[in-house]
Amino acid sequence: MRRRRARRAGTARREGASEVGTLALQLLVNGILLGGLYVLVAQSLNLIFGVMGVVNLAHGSIIALAGLFTYWFSMRTGLSPLLVLPLALAGGAAAGAAGQRLLIEPVMQAGAKAGLLSLIVTFGLSYVLIELALQVFGSDFVSVPYLQSSWKLGALAFGKALVVAGAFAAVMSALLYWWLNRTYSGKALLAASQSPTGALSCGIDVARVRLIAFGIGVGLAAAAGVLVIVIMPVAPQTASDLTLLAFVIIALGGLGDYLGVAAAALLLGIAQSVAGYYLGGNAEYVLPYVLLLVVMLAGPGRFRRLG
Amino acid sequence: MASLPARLGALLAGGLALPLAGLFAAPPAANAAPPIVIGTTISETGALATDGLYEIKGIKAGVAEANLHGGWLGRKIVLKYYDDKSSPGTAVRLYQRLVTLDKVNLLVGPYSSLVTIAIAPLINKYKMATLEPGASVPSIYVPGNKWNLMNTADSTTYLHQLLPLAKQHGARTAALLGLESAYSLACYHARVAQAKQLGLKIVYRTTYTLQTDFSSIALAIKHANPDVVLECAYYPDSVNLVRALHEQGFAPKFLGETVGPVEAAYVQALGPLANRVFGNTGWWFNFKTPGNKTFIAAYTRMFHQQPDYHAAAGYTAIQVLGAAVQATHSLDQAKIRHWIVTHTVQSIQGPIHDNANGRTTGAVQDMVQIQNGVLKLVAPAELAQAPVLFPYTGH
Amino acid sequence: MEEATGERRGEPGLTLGREAAAERRGRRRWQAGAALGALAVVAAVPLLSTGYLLQLATDTLTAIILAYGWNLISGFTGYLSFGQVSFYGLGAYSTALLVLHAHLPWYFAVLASGVVGAAAALLLGPFMLRLRGILFALGMLGLARILGVVFNSWGFAGASLGLSLPAELMPVRIYVATCLLALLAFACNAFFVHSGFGLDAVSLNEDEEAAAALGVPATRVKVIAFVLSAILPAMAGGLVAWNRSYMDPSSAFNSSLDLQIVVFVLFGGIGTLWGPFLGTLTLMLAGEQFGVAFPDLQLALYGVVVISTVLAFPGGLVGLANRFGWLMRPIVLAPKTLPAVVPPARPARQGAAPVLEVRDLTVRFGGLTALDGVSLSLRRGEMLGIIGANGAGKTTLFNAITGFVRPTSGEILYFGEPISRVPIFRRAQRGIARSFQIPRLLPSLTVWENVVLASRHGRQSHRAAEHAAWVLQTIGLAPMWRDPASRLTPGYQRQLEFARVLALDPELVLLDEVMAGMTREEQEAVRGVIRCLPEYGVAAVACVEHVIAAVSDLCDRMVVLDFGRKIAEGAPAAVLTDPVVVRAYLGEPL
Repeated sequence: MRRRRARRAGTARREGASEVGTLALQLLVNGILLGGLYVLVAQSLNLIFGVMGVVNLAHGSIIALAGLFTYWFSMRTGLSPLLVLPLALAGGAAAGAAGQRLLIEPVMQAGAKAGLLSLIVTFGLSYVLIELALQVFGSDFVSVPYLQSSWKLGALAFGKALVVAGAFAAVMSALLYWWLNRTYSGKALLAASQSPTGALSCGIDVARVRLIAFGIGVGLAAAAGVLVIVIMPVAPQTASDLTLLAFVIIALGGLGDYLGVAAAALLLGIAQSVAGYYLGGNAEYVLPYVLLLVVMLAGPGRFRRLG
Repeated sequence: MASLPARLGALLAGGLALPLAGLFAAPPAANAAPPIVIGTTISETGALATDGLYEIKGIKAGVAEANLHGGWLGRKIVLKYYDDKSSPGTAVRLYQRLVTLDKVNLLVGPYSSLVTIAIAPLINKYKMATLEPGASVPSIYVPGNKWNLMNTADSTTYLHQLLPLAKQHGARTAALLGLESAYSLACYHARVAQAKQLGLKIVYRTTYTLQTDFSSIALAIKHANPDVVLECAYYPDSVNLVRALHEQGFAPKFLGETVGPVEAAYVQALGPLANRVFGNTGWWFNFKTPGNKTFIAAYTRMFHQQPDYHAAAGYTAIQVLGAAVQATHSLDQAKIRHWIVTHTVQSIQGPIHDNANGRTTGAVQDMVQIQNGVLKLVAPAELAQAPVLFPYTGH
Repeated sequence: MEEATGERRGEPGLTLGREAAAERRGRRRWQAGAALGALAVVAAVPLLSTGYLLQLATDTLTAIILAYGWNLISGFTGYLSFGQVSFYGLGAYSTALLVLHAHLPWYFAVLASGVVGAAAALLLGPFMLRLRGILFALGMLGLARILGVVFNSWGFAGASLGLSLPAELMPVRIYVATCLLALLAFACNAFFVHSGFGLDAVSLNEDEEAAAALGVPATRVKVIAFVLSAILPAMAGGLVAWNRSYMDPSSAFNSSLDLQIVVFVLFGGIGTLWGPFLGTLTLMLAGEQFGVAFPDLQLALYGVVVISTVLAFPGGLVGLANRFGWLMRPIVLAPKTLPAVVPPARPARQGAAPVLEVRDLTVRFGGLTALDGVSLSLRRGEMLGIIGANGAGKTTLFNAITGFVRPTSGEILYFGEPISRVPIFRRAQRGIARSFQIPRLLPSLTVWENVVLASRHGRQSHRAAEHAAWVLQTIGLAPMWRDPASRLTPGYQRQLEFARVLALDPELVLLDEVMAGMTREEQEAVRGVIRCLPEYGVAAVACVEHVIAAVSDLCDRMVVLDFGRKIAEGAPAAVLTDPVVVRAYLGEPL
């Protein structure tokens, strides 16, 4: 009775070869831009997981809170929402560091159970933050009208907000990669993540490293929120969807693997873009979860290693 | 750190002490003229909170207005409501509480068709004549659910003026989209049938689940190149679609979306992109219905914001209940129900008449258009505040 | 907990002190009284009210069922699931569709929902349970999302409008059915707490590989736990659908329902018998009242409860009760006293095949070759020493023989039968026992349970207990048999590791540096036991050892590995003076 697939008649069949090429390119562009948004949303969660082995379930609520604050600021002052970026980075980092010291660090001492306990603590924290957002900003979906159009390159359209977000995500990923692999403090962070006791015996203050990692992770999540509110409507209840999305992406990319996550985000974006065009909205929505199950069950052995 | 657990402990102890107090507390002592208690739940939080909040404010304004005139049957009216968190399961339990523990005299239904469907069996069991300001899906109002009484136009009438209007102005092709939810699918199927009947060619149609990326759908629409794009949606996806269409560089001649455009946040979020978008409403400021000016004044005074049609529907529910209670001089549910399905109430939305199944007949939703950031009623013609502007340009 | 420690009572401690026993009996009576009281309350509810209170009680019991269901897979077995709601939803829809289309009476439909849940879990379990930790949690969450979308667009199941059932409301009957299901849920959990099967499940939670090496059939155990933890929510879902006369995708596959259950169980005490009950009861009643009083703050309250539970009292309510000696977990299969028994005599295997034969074994990890064409054999009654520098491949050899790593090529024969494809637990059950370089005890379990876990497989439970008792007495761990393994000193931990090897009643024993870090006296004790191994039915022993002097006189032969290759083999004296071996050890004085 009801079509579950999108149906296009007439025009699609009359497309010439060049139009098909343009369409394919545009689908690719849309997919890559969507992937950029995914990198933006997921990379900071990835940092925290990669360094600390902590899955921060409050991730989405941090993004939503920062986004809602950006909306409030932008509507109140009429200034560009991007001005909030430095504030979000600094404020997020400070709040993240404080939260880590008070809530996460105490459970990091629990050894093998630390991963589970921190999962639970951040889960509780997400409830509190969502409620805070509801109390302060209300339950409405809001979005900042900014960078709404697109840049044209020949027949191809590049949505401005997504390009800015993608560029930020790319720079963020590159800086993270450079920092973790090329600088002393970054290497210390990686060392601490691979062997806390080993790092400790090398004179690395592991607790401090975790503080830095969590601070930076939360700062970046808050910065992501500033850009997300420009791209799509956000409400406090969006938080859990954002967490889940980020989680799915870092799982697809191989938990803690910065380049892998970027690659997975781009591939997922492209796959969704194509699926949405040919199969319609429902298929596009469910694709990440199907891919997640397929990759986890049939995929690389690295998934089984993680306990 | 040391004092934090202590404080939490105190909070917990408080939380544990409450249930006993609450479960076994005696009901308030009866006096000569106890108030009439109206019970309801509302989606104050959760996915449907935006519209739900309008509705409860409308109900509150209705109760305040009735009390201003001495209440009903010489008794004051008190509203008792809980937050159902947009969750059908929570709503079922809360309505049970309203009926059996709080022993309210009258019920008003929750926001959204979904939650209403969930509580319908309970309403039927307790035989409570329940006014439904927030449930527009016609399939609720069947003989099995005779205690649900609609007081608004049903969702198959949302944007029903858009396709004929577009055709009249030369449109030949349409793209139709529907969100996978109760009300929006009813609307979507009605519009698909209407397009076929009008001879408009449907060049693209899809249903979708709440999602954020509309670029592919927008691209597909662009390639199908329809004259009209009509989306049965909630607020977030309506904003997302307009932005995505703009980013892909496509502007249909006519763009209509349900529910989203009448919300204040819509124009705020889309800015110039919202210009000339069509939306639906069951009530408007310039309706010359009895009490409309009073409603607008009271609502604005109480909540420092403009009402919308959800608020008007909530207000109407109280109007209809009041009319029935006062006409029957009783709080007898069967009498109230019988009166409502046999009489017409002149509400602020217009005349409300329910058929034997409780479905409001004759009422339709009207159409508004955003013109330079301001919502103008454009259909029906006799109430139109401004002529229709087209084409939609996307800026 | 304290009273259980034998040493405190100043005697070897094989029997419980009389006072302690009396105290236990008293506690039992107290618990029985509490249970009776709870039953009375449960029975009184429908008499007091048929409306809201009854509905609240039904909802609370439903949450208790879900909590108990979740506790089976996530609490005991340790597979944290954020998607058990998938089974709740499937059950709800099964009942709704069966009532609507097959016109089944509601109670049959609810039972059928249980079958549907079981079937779904049986299909999914073997795949999903290959995932561990957060990936399993995430995978289950993804599954719930997918099901939500499927049911949201499946016309036959009413799509997003959901299904409405005939509104025959019968609150008391549904309440009774819910009570029965809650009892079943409690019984399942009690079974996990008291039975050997439950011990297997808990051992997976602690260390799945180590448990497999003790003969625990990990996959079977966790799939069964998964199936049980699916039946309960599936039937609960069916009851809810019938009770509400309505079900829709957004309530059926709502992950936040699971998250709420997680909160309840954590607050009560995860992996305990009473935790899910106490946590759910407390938070449901408090949450209901709190939600009515402060509707905006209910979620925040849950959040604060979770955080403070983890930070201040990680064991939840039951953990708090344990501090006062209440609601203690019983020791599984524990006798009142350790029976004194004679060592078991196993009939010797017939046949001439060597105990173990390794042929041309190669193991590669990516580019690294850990073992390169190693061949060796172990005859009956023989003890083989395997030595070599760090990274020579000794532990990898053991891992390949016991099934922890899959050989890249080559063959392993056990009594002449190839075993390369036999799973770990089955090799253990067939008599291949190993110790680990770093003891992999199951720390939250008692010494007794660590041993009985290994002695259980292939035995009836009273024989298993006798055997475990014999092992503990032989190894000298009898005085602390009721202590948690985590409280043992490192030396005792190594002895316990050794005891578990013996508890398997093995024919081939692989010892991986059992004497590292032991005092001379402890080493001497272990050497004594190793000498006795043949008496206990062990056909052959292979040991990896750094303390070469400690084993050289025990060994009949020695094999030297260097960078994955066998570089020497022969009698200890000859091998230890072989110049190739000496060079490999860089002149280490032998």
